[in-house]
Amino acid sequence: MSSSSPNLVADEVALGVESASSVAPGGGAGRDFATYLGIKLLAALVSLVAVVVIAFILFSIIPANPVRTLTQGRPVSAAELATLRRQLGIGEPIYTQFWHFLDNLLHLRLGYSYQFRESVSSLIGQRIGPTMLLMGTSTLISIVLGLWLGIRSGWNEGSRFDRIASGASLALWSVPTFWLGIILLVVLSVGFGAFHGIFPAGGMHSPTAAPGAVNTVLDVAWHLVLPCLTLVLVVFAQYVTIMRSSIIDELGNPYLLTARAKGLRDDEVRRRHAVPNALLPSVTIIFLQLGAMVSGAITVEVVFSWPGLGYLTYQALQLPDIQLLEGTFIFFSAAVIGMNLVADILYRYLDPRVRAQ
Amino acid sequence: MSATSAPLAHVTSVPGRSSRLRALVRMPGAVAGIAILVIVAAVAIGAPLFVHSYDLDVTKVNGPLLHAPTGAYPLGTDQSGRSELLLLAWGSRPSLLIGIIATALTMVLGTVIGLLAGHYQGIVGRLLMTVTDWFIVLPSLPLAIALSAVMGEGDTSITIAIAVTSWASTARLLRAQTLAVEARPFIERAKALGASNTQIMVRQVLPNVVPLILVSATLTVAGAILDQATLTFLGLGNPTEVSWGSMLNTAFANGDITAGAWWTLVPPGLAILVVVLGFSLTGRAVERVLNPRLAVER
Amino acid sequence: MTDCPSRPEPRLRARVVALLAGALVFACAIVGLSTAPGAARAASSSTSTFIGELDTSVSNFNPFLAFEQGEIDTNDMIYPTLTFGNEKNLPGPWLAKSWSISPNKLTWTFHLRTGLKWSDGTPLTASDVTWTYNLIMHNSAAATANGTLVAGFKSVTAPNASTVVITTKQPLANVLNDVMVIPIVPEHIWKAHVKKIGTFTNTTTPVVGYGPYVFTGYQPGQSVTLTASKSFFGGVPKYHRLILNYYANSSAAVAALRSGAIDSVGPNEMTSTEWKSLEHVPGVKAYQNVSNDWYAVEVNSGAKTRSGKPMGNGNPLLHNPVIRRAIALGINRNELVQKTVGGTAVATGSYLTVAFPQWYWTPPASQAQNYNPAKANAMLTKAGFPKGKNGYRYDKKTGKELSFRLGIHSDYANDAATANYLKGWMKDIGINLNVQAMSNTQLNDNLAIGDWDLLMDQWAEGADPTYLLSIQTCGVLPLNKNGSGGNTDSFFCNHRYDQLYNAEQHEFNLAKREADIKAMEKILYNADDDIILYDDNYLWATRTNYLKGYVYGSANSQGLYPLQNYELGWTKAIPAASTSGGGSSSTLIIVIIVVVVLLGGGGLLATLRRRRTAEERE
Repeated sequence: MSSSSPNLVADEVALGVESASSVAPGGGAGRDFATYLGIKLLAALVSLVAVVVIAFILFSIIPANPVRTLTQGRPVSAAELATLRRQLGIGEPIYTQFWHFLDNLLHLRLGYSYQFRESVSSLIGQRIGPTMLLMGTSTLISIVLGLWLGIRSGWNEGSRFDRIASGASLALWSVPTFWLGIILLVVLSVGFGAFHGIFPAGGMHSPTAAPGAVNTVLDVAWHLVLPCLTLVLVVFAQYVTIMRSSIIDELGNPYLLTARAKGLRDDEVRRRHAVPNALLPSVTIIFLQLGAMVSGAITVEVVFSWPGLGYLTYQALQLPDIQLLEGTFIFFSAAVIGMNLVADILYRYLDPRVRAQ
Repeated sequence: MSATSAPLAHVTSVPGRSSRLRALVRMPGAVAGIAILVIVAAVAIGAPLFVHSYDLDVTKVNGPLLHAPTGAYPLGTDQSGRSELLLLAWGSRPSLLIGIIATALTMVLGTVIGLLAGHYQGIVGRLLMTVTDWFIVLPSLPLAIALSAVMGEGDTSITIAIAVTSWASTARLLRAQTLAVEARPFIERAKALGASNTQIMVRQVLPNVVPLILVSATLTVAGAILDQATLTFLGLGNPTEVSWGSMLNTAFANGDITAGAWWTLVPPGLAILVVVLGFSLTGRAVERVLNPRLAVER
Repeated sequence: MTDCPSRPEPRLRARVVALLAGALVFACAIVGLSTAPGAARAASSSTSTFIGELDTSVSNFNPFLAFEQGEIDTNDMIYPTLTFGNEKNLPGPWLAKSWSISPNKLTWTFHLRTGLKWSDGTPLTASDVTWTYNLIMHNSAAATANGTLVAGFKSVTAPNASTVVITTKQPLANVLNDVMVIPIVPEHIWKAHVKKIGTFTNTTTPVVGYGPYVFTGYQPGQSVTLTASKSFFGGVPKYHRLILNYYANSSAAVAALRSGAIDSVGPNEMTSTEWKSLEHVPGVKAYQNVSNDWYAVEVNSGAKTRSGKPMGNGNPLLHNPVIRRAIALGINRNELVQKTVGGTAVATGSYLTVAFPQWYWTPPASQAQNYNPAKANAMLTKAGFPKGKNGYRYDKKTGKELSFRLGIHSDYANDAATANYLKGWMKDIGINLNVQAMSNTQLNDNLAIGDWDLLMDQWAEGADPTYLLSIQTCGVLPLNKNGSGGNTDSFFCNHRYDQLYNAEQHEFNLAKREADIKAMEKILYNADDDIILYDDNYLWATRTNYLKGYVYGSANSQGLYPLQNYELGWTKAIPAASTSGGGSSSTLIIVIIVVVVLLGGGGLLATLRRRRTAEERE
């Protein structure tokens, strides 16, 4: 479930395993782009529909009567409990529930959260910003860092740099994300002994931050450092391995010998020839790992109380708040399906063999 | 994708067993990995010998509460006065057991579907691959959370959740390997001789994918142990059972870290790190040994 | 290969990037430090800020719907109620400055303060009160939060602009407590929201209300900002601003307290471990309040419907009072208090809590169910439950082992810790406890249909004990086997108890009422259906600058402060005379940023120049 071991990922590259949704009969070449796009879109839509149906089936099994939990400790009469149950639509027969569910979906409503007493869509709308900020920043930094390390390692294979980089990334992949987060929290935020922490222990805003756009941005950046650092440390190992394997595979290619024979400098050969070719399979696999990034983001948000979608999912677990869980599940799946679609299109677009048509 | 690297199938010479072992021993990573696994297995299996019920029963222990490491308690004590060292040893059992069982489920499911998908190239194969791809795309932690919420908290639901979210990548890998193996001439010969589909898959293909299964399994256990820790940390496990994940969950929920009780936080995490590293290093080493070509390249 | 020794370009770029990154981090550090509360507090007293804590996440400030304590706390600061909890936690004058009750005890007349205006200038009159109450009484959506409290009211009318008359169907002793909880809203604003009252969240600030504070700022799910009103009958709060912050987990809250980002943490945020770690931190005072919250393990002594039909799959062995008594005797409350909550609780077996001494009953020494495993073992053996080979007892008649399920809340860490102890102690007396963790919903569902043996349970006693007592009456048993129409806590049903309950509700003679209530507690104590373990103290930690006025009352011999209404504390807190903390001033920030930019810029220029020469060299 957690992001595949870096070694497995490298195996996939070596085996020439295709991207998840690019299993097109007869391979990619030979079809024009528009048809390709159409097929991919259709496939994505079918995936989405499957997700929605499965989500509904899955979540309708869960006991769904949280009225007592919601009113715990407060004076309520039996009649009020019944009213509340009616209001929240609990206890309806399954086909009525499914009909409501479909109806809501068509209007892009994802349901109603019991514990927040708000529509799931509006909750997701509130929390998606922080998650995208966290995931976006982390992904960017991880990719840059991972690719750079991977290229350097792969190029200088067997060197001390390579061994240290590979060793460090393997070690960091082996660490549970939440544990790393807690360690960073303790060391850099809570502090120990006489050392007081520097970074905030959670959340996204300081309540007493001075008003103004610049201050807000810097305040958020301040809160972003630790969660982002945690996520980057755990995820960049993937990219290092992918890139390293790709470069090493590229190294065996005859055209590189030609380039060197022509007198091109080592790093120019690397930059202009090896890297772009090695990047291609990496691009698709990077997008495949986005699903793992989502998982990592959830645990990091929980540890740092980052008010994003991951934390929302965790909060939904407490009751459990069925419709909210369902909504976040569908949303995450849809997001990853969407990103895979983008990856496929990007790959098709970038592959020079295809573009040459 | 990468059109340059050839699949594993094109290895023509297979080195002898003794030379493989020698190759294994020469790799420092392999030695470290295997050593770790041996030690951890010894601890897990032998734990009942030195961890008694009265060490784990909170009503019987009399250690100081949440105390820093001392002579009598080398890793300190927890909230209830139990020795963290003994808890750590005992906690290895469910952590490893769940990891191994989940991996077994994953491998069985992944192998069966991968083999079928690789062998039956027609509609069946494509259908299986579509389902597999769909599972791969699904974000794993939200799916695991959903499954655990449905099945209720506990070890069974965690094991099933891990298996459901991990089998797809194994299936994909095995399908690719099956395709590679089936492209070899001896398969054609078997078909010409009238071997049935089952016979081909079981007698011809399966033995050739076993190395990949072994490697994949070793690496999957690593992931499963991480997943068990994460899901338990999120509260989906059994809170009264002693496992590394629940120890971390308790440490966080009780506020031990705020109180500065690092000994409740660091050892379980390090244990997970070490065990996962052990499996990863071993898996990588085994892979290199069973596939010399990759060993040359890497 | 090439024998070019170095590759200046990528190294240069890396260095520049590193420099800029470092500069950015440094700038963030400076700004972060400057936005720390020390700097914010360095302002003048006109913007004095008290930063408190929201007990729960908040999302809905509609007083007709609000469940979460954080939302209720906010509403209490911005909407008036007829009465309000005073220093003794008894209903004191608030919007109503005095009241009287008719001789037949059916009519309550409240005299309101006059001349008050809502924050938008509209006069606050009795008609707002009656409008609010009548809405709750006649609109089922509006009755969501507080409908039970007005269930006994017959009518609420306003003979004139400053008088409210409430008539009850029967004499009710706790009307003052009921009206303490119901926020009164401005009719002229809320008239428009009646249609959609079930979904209106009331989060558009500033909110029109009347109270010590005005709701002026809201960050969804994170914080609420309240600004002191310009006028308030109780005196405008000395703190100009009250910010209530929500912390998702306790370590974040405690870290914030240590760094001064929040002034007070409590009552339910910290674990006892965290609270203890704050006991010796300079600048922080950690203290405890006596609590009105009990923690118990309840036993299914025979779930049945209101008509007496048995329901659920509870173990029938628990119908036997000897077994239940043995379980009670097998629990070491004192050790539980010491080891699971670090001594921050009061071990007790009484159904009502120590926070309200007038209702609190303690058994005489001869009847006390103290920890006595020897006695429990003897009782069980004598009653026909010998110990088997595995150490667990079995029923001599049926051969069935004494094995019971203990349901615990999966999201409450204390349940798991307590369950470990219970399991060990029950093993000592030969009972096998099978601990099952489940979600809140699952647990409550199982409870409602009788599918349980033992469950962890927790309740808070209101200022009036009637509601807490009501959940043990026969009248709240479910109507049928699927639990509908029921509101019972443990399926307890005792006719004598019900008689006393009916009597106490309408009893105005305090001594008689006290006797009735204590008799009820005795019945519960002896039934062992709800084995109360302890009253969990409220744990607070406040920065020493912010104690004055906020913490009131004096600590008892155990160092516990009486139960406090912290909402009252917010209105009475007095800002510290000096401004402490002293963060960097804005000029210092500017200077530092300029220096950093210059350094970064200088470094950038230097590296660029070197790059150019390197290229020229090529």
